[in-house]
Amino acid sequence: MKFSRLEYTPKDIVFGFSKKFLRYGIDLEVGNGLVVPEIKYFPRVEKNVMEEYKHITEQLLKRAVALGTESLQLETELTYLEMEDKKLVAELINLQKSMIERYAKEHGLHVGYRVTVADIRDFGKPRHDEESFNKMMEIFELASSNGADVLSIESEGGKELFNYSIIRQDLTGIVSSLGYLATFDMKRLWKNIVSIAKNKSILAGGDSACAFANTAMKIAGGLKDNMIPHSLASIVRVMSACRSLIAFEEGATGPGKDCAYENVYLKVITGCPMSMEGKSSAVAHSSLVGNIIAATCDLWSNEQVENIKLFGGYGPEVFLEILHYDTKLMNMAIAGGQQYCLRDLMIKSDKLLNPQAFVLSPDIVYEISKVIVGEKDELSRTVASAIKAIELMSNEEKLNLSKGEKRFIEMAKRKLEEIYSSPSQKVEKALEQYVGKVEKLRVKDYLEA
Amino acid sequence: MSKEELLDAIRDSIVNLDFDKSKEYTLKALEAGATPQEIILKSIAQGMEIVGKKFEESEYFLSELIVAGEIGKEITKILEPYLKGAEMKKVGKVVIGTVRGDLHDIGKNIVAMMLEAAEFKVIDLGADVPPEKFVEAVKNENPDIVGMSALLTVTMVEMKNVIDALKEAGLREKVKVIIGGAAVTEDYAKSIGADGYGANAVEGVRVCKQWVKQK
Repeated sequence: MKFSRLEYTPKDIVFGFSKKFLRYGIDLEVGNGLVVPEIKYFPRVEKNVMEEYKHITEQLLKRAVALGTESLQLETELTYLEMEDKKLVAELINLQKSMIERYAKEHGLHVGYRVTVADIRDFGKPRHDEESFNKMMEIFELASSNGADVLSIESEGGKELFNYSIIRQDLTGIVSSLGYLATFDMKRLWKNIVSIAKNKSILAGGDSACAFANTAMKIAGGLKDNMIPHSLASIVRVMSACRSLIAFEEGATGPGKDCAYENVYLKVITGCPMSMEGKSSAVAHSSLVGNIIAATCDLWSNEQVENIKLFGGYGPEVFLEILHYDTKLMNMAIAGGQQYCLRDLMIKSDKLLNPQAFVLSPDIVYEISKVIVGEKDELSRTVASAIKAIELMSNEEKLNLSKGEKRFIEMAKRKLEEIYSSPSQKVEKALEQYVGKVEKLRVKDYLEA
Repeated sequence: MSKEELLDAIRDSIVNLDFDKSKEYTLKALEAGATPQEIILKSIAQGMEIVGKKFEESEYFLSELIVAGEIGKEITKILEPYLKGAEMKKVGKVVIGTVRGDLHDIGKNIVAMMLEAAEFKVIDLGADVPPEKFVEAVKNENPDIVGMSALLTVTMVEMKNVIDALKEAGLREKVKVIIGGAAVTEDYAKSIGADGYGANAVEGVRVCKQWVKQK
């Protein structure tokens, strides 16, 4: 289903409320006036995997009871190595779900459980590694049968061209990757995931452009790093929103995946609840958007933490406590009718410091989202939304932009407008030139998928 | 345009990251009687120096440094037939790869491209590279340096396996080993017996340049 209008204005979008709020898992409500912590973790390498998951789940649920966290979501993000062993995957999901059920029953907790399947495909193989695609689908099935309430993925279709392009500031390559190649893969993937979720009456959560927009964010680095322009990372984020939206067009219902910072756009467009991460995910990576991204979240996540011992306990339980207090403050603001005041402080504290934060501000998201829903196809909306982002950045005098950033913005404007004049023609012509030059790029396999 | 003006125009097109113009002026400069050596020294080397300075002064981004390096490489390809088979001099050879189990290759790619821009010959083994493939490449290519990258804590342990495999094959003393990637630290590099560590691409290339200079 193509979304043609926006569900929110910048004035009414806020954390904890979603027009299409969800009830799932064990009596968990998401987006109905409460922000819920979502905790994500991974086992220590040298330990037994099952023992580690048991240990992590036990400490998390104990800590939740100790803190009085009534609602929470756990997320297991499967690793490449775990994906090798289907039996292990089934057992570890089953184990965690039974522990969740026991604690929920004994202590009255409201809990959701998300499983994220790793994209293990080698895109350089014929038909984009059909064998791995099938294995991923089998694991989605296994996760659904063994206790997952929400299914997610950080899919990577188009990444081989994106990787080539991002370090060269090659906007044609980036557009061709996110606005063209990735769209074929997203449609195929999400048709299948939505069907699996529907068959088991669980939720198709959403996809993150982690491999694209978070890669750009990570390379751009901090304020003083000069790796790639922050304004480039910010338009990659906007273009990624056009790509991640496809999961919802194919029937995903949320809650959206935490590391998809583009979820602000998806919430404005779809009205579905979204998980987000920011200041409390500094354990996994640094960002310049730690507060602003919390302004519209429904679940609040830590991204990822290893099960290592810290003074305050093991990593996952320590980060659950951090998320507990983050969400408690947001929920207290909601209870006291002060959510808009807190939201505005979150936005104001980050918005003008950096272009990456700027494009996540609800007023800017709203303007760009209008462009996204107004365009006729995925490729056009990818280019048009980036042009709009450039225009808004250029027009904001108070936005912190270095000389180099301003130079890039001028160049990007010219380039994107040139592509927008005939997007399909420009992209198809460019792809012919990338084949053979970009390692593992198999354009035909996207089109025939 | 005179020969001298064309050499300047090539240099400026590198600084402006304009591949089409650099190609056009290179062909015209050759027609006007410029030698490949003149183009390399007066246009490419000077252009790269200006871009490098702009990067150091935070005016240019690393990505622009990479693009300038690629333009330099493309011009060199145009010049190759005129060099009468004489091989372009390289400062050293590096075998590089992301270790087994890790598919994250963008950081490694940046380092590889920067090494090439710094006139190293780079043998890029790709991502998810098993120790035996590193060993085979060292045997066949006889590099000065082996570079390894890992993003994940679960895969960085593979770096030690590569070093052990090089030892077993009797090749460890023939090469310097440098590691990098989000998961690794200088302490980790020391603990597994690597010779060096790059906190980022610029630092990694600096270490490699220093090593070949000392040779």
